[in-house]
Amino acid sequence: MGKYIAKRLLHGIVSVIIVVLVVMLLIYSLMDREQIFSSDTVYAKQTNNQRVTYRYQRWEDYGYLDYFTFSDYLNSLVKNGELDEETRGKVKLGKTADADGELTAKYAAEFRDYYESQGFTVERLDTVMSGRRVANGGAAQLFAYRDIPLYKRAWRYFTGIVFFDNIHYVPQENDIGERKLTFTLYDPSKQDPESGKKVFSPAILGNGTKHKYLVYFDGKFPFIHQNMATVKLGLSYSVNMNVDVFDTMTLSQGSYTLSKVTYPTGKVVDSADDLHTATYISGSRQTSQLLMDHYTDDYTNVSAVLAGSSKLGYSFIIGIISTLMAYILGLPIGLFMALHKDGVVDKIGTVYIMFIIAVPSLAYIFLFKAVGGKMGLPTLFNMDSTSKLMYVLPIVSLALPSIANLMKWMRRYMIDQMNSDYVKFARSGGLTEREIFTKHVWKNAVIPIVHGIPGSIIFAMTGAIITERVYVVPGAGNLLTTAINMHDNSVIVGVTLFYALLSVVSLILGDVLMSMMDPRISFTDKAR
Amino acid sequence: MEHVKSFEEYTDEELFSRVDHNEFESERITAPRYSYWKSVFRVFFRNKVNIVILGILLLVIVFAYVYPLIIGYDAKVDPYINLMDSTSKHLRPSAAIKKYGFNLHWILGTGGSGQSTFDAVWYGSSISISLAFICAAINMTIGVILGAIWGFSKKVDAFMTEIYNIVGNVPMILIISVLAMLFQPTFWTMVFAMTVIGWIGLAYFIRTQVVIIRDREYNLASRCLGTGTFKIAMRNILPFMTSVIVTMLATEIPSYISYEVFLSYIGMGMSDMSLGKLIYASETAMVTPGWEIEFWAPVVVASVITVVLYVVGQNLGDASDPRTHM
Repeated sequence: MGKYIAKRLLHGIVSVIIVVLVVMLLIYSLMDREQIFSSDTVYAKQTNNQRVTYRYQRWEDYGYLDYFTFSDYLNSLVKNGELDEETRGKVKLGKTADADGELTAKYAAEFRDYYESQGFTVERLDTVMSGRRVANGGAAQLFAYRDIPLYKRAWRYFTGIVFFDNIHYVPQENDIGERKLTFTLYDPSKQDPESGKKVFSPAILGNGTKHKYLVYFDGKFPFIHQNMATVKLGLSYSVNMNVDVFDTMTLSQGSYTLSKVTYPTGKVVDSADDLHTATYISGSRQTSQLLMDHYTDDYTNVSAVLAGSSKLGYSFIIGIISTLMAYILGLPIGLFMALHKDGVVDKIGTVYIMFIIAVPSLAYIFLFKAVGGKMGLPTLFNMDSTSKLMYVLPIVSLALPSIANLMKWMRRYMIDQMNSDYVKFARSGGLTEREIFTKHVWKNAVIPIVHGIPGSIIFAMTGAIITERVYVVPGAGNLLTTAINMHDNSVIVGVTLFYALLSVVSLILGDVLMSMMDPRISFTDKAR
Repeated sequence: MEHVKSFEEYTDEELFSRVDHNEFESERITAPRYSYWKSVFRVFFRNKVNIVILGILLLVIVFAYVYPLIIGYDAKVDPYINLMDSTSKHLRPSAAIKKYGFNLHWILGTGGSGQSTFDAVWYGSSISISLAFICAAINMTIGVILGAIWGFSKKVDAFMTEIYNIVGNVPMILIISVLAMLFQPTFWTMVFAMTVIGWIGLAYFIRTQVVIIRDREYNLASRCLGTGTFKIAMRNILPFMTSVIVTMLATEIPSYISYEVFLSYIGMGMSDMSLGKLIYASETAMVTPGWEIEFWAPVVVASVITVVLYVVGQNLGDASDPRTHM
């Protein structure tokens, strides 16, 4: 069994990788990359050479290509010590290549050689003149760009999925004192603001790592948290600027919740900062007096404590309750319909199933919304509201179709089983109807239903597109469509990877559960 | 009273007549004449509900395809004729009839640019229905043929199952949106997007059915007697599949209409004014008092079309199962 699952998992991972490759091919190579400018107001204002370089910058941001300008190149030379600041200041692009000074021409040639040897395309744009002056955005440009090949893109992506935090994360040249991990029994951020008394709460702190807190406890589920290994599914650009897809799905949303926070300097302020999320940003403390007052080191990048759940959280609450409702209501009704075939309930149920299958889902969700609104239920989701009533309509809208679906299959499987020969044999052997039902028919009919249970629980998390859109639920269901509409390529890839992994896992779990329910199904070769 | 002869009173010549041995007649097997399709329609029309539903379907098709022709509906011009007349926008049916006099055009009121909702809905229906039928025809043809091959050949099976597992994980919306962005989102792009991987699910379904029937005893016997694979497929398996295929068709066609509505709603539909696009365009009208009908009209028509197609298909599927022909 274990061997079989391992094999299935391996197969699953291979197919997930292929899916990601296919998706990358679709969005980076096939999709028209001019599309991203269609609703870009900044782009519309750009003119001349600036417009050209703006395009390449955006394409780099969206992950289409690698792009380096001449000044990037010079700056990197300065950083490596191959060029001093003074000479750097003298290198200036001329109006045309021929008008370059001797020094500039030398570095421009080096730039060209360096990048062309790496397969880049080097382009030079001459100054655009308007009369005697340089036209708006018409300054000369020299830059190199290269489309990222699929294999390289995939390699970068897959090797970067899990980030292990380590004490060498902070660049070696930064002087930050001793790089180490410290284990403490008293979490410094939890000090009582009034008395300054220490609170017992074990934590592992790092210096030189990306995150300051590597392991810590707090009052939120699952109470113990870690930042040792973080999942990175791709940095968002347009949906949620510079936030990873995985974080976009899992971080809380809503309004700030203020509390008394004791900063590392000992200052106590009413703030929403969550010190446990502190990450390192080189030189950040020096940038403002406020940060100087609050922090003792460069671990200043904190996120806020927010009142709402995460996208996955909202989707999961709604999804899991509606899934439970579907099983609790759908199975017994389906059973009843099968046991009293052609009865009144069966006829009404069949009409209901037909309604759900045939009518476009959009139509009945709006119908539920209209009916619910008439009954006085809130039809719009509000993260700041504590009312539980706003969950009712989304849950009902999700549950009613899945109830119909379960009713349909339960009825079908039951009727198929009841008509089979072994039931006739059992009846002729003198078993009571009750015995036949509980010992034979029910057990056989429920097996295919069991197969779908893990899937329906796992996919409760990913949310439903229409329901969340109609009721304005801040869930995960709309993430993919939003990303597609906003051309946020890395979010598309990340979400696809996430969904593909979930579906592989839920299929395997379904098979395992099924084989546990039904001893006839075995996945080991020996038993066959 | 006439005397009835008793049995004994007959002579042998009167009771018996000699029949010559006939090679041809002795080989004939007699059974009541049975025509499959005739029986299908006999069973289908036995249920009176089907006649009513079929009538509604006919009415829908007439309105969707013939009505725009009769009024000479031009999708490029007609939605905008009243664009400049601000008094003609968002009228309730009663107000529209009062303004223009009673006419079929105005019985559902007017939309955001003063156009007739009634005309727009039926023109949209024709696009949606055409899309559904074309997609279903393409997907079913490819799906059934490839599904049969998939089910028959073990080599193809191993290969295709892997493909199916991979393609099944690529979100359908992604493929559709990429294709819609690659090309202009026209009617035919939409057809292409819905069929480029849409067939694989149907093929998998057919494959499972074929695998189930393929190894049944009668096919084993048939193979032992030397029947070729092609003949087994055509003679033994295809007839068995007819009702399955018809039932599948019944769920497929409405599902394309629903899916198109869904795609339009999330903003990834085609550029033609289909039912989905109408619903998308009038979404704000739903929450504006007095304008609701602009939203509900296309929704209700879409629902009626899908329900009617579904019921006809299901009942035709039931009727095409030979076991109901008794």
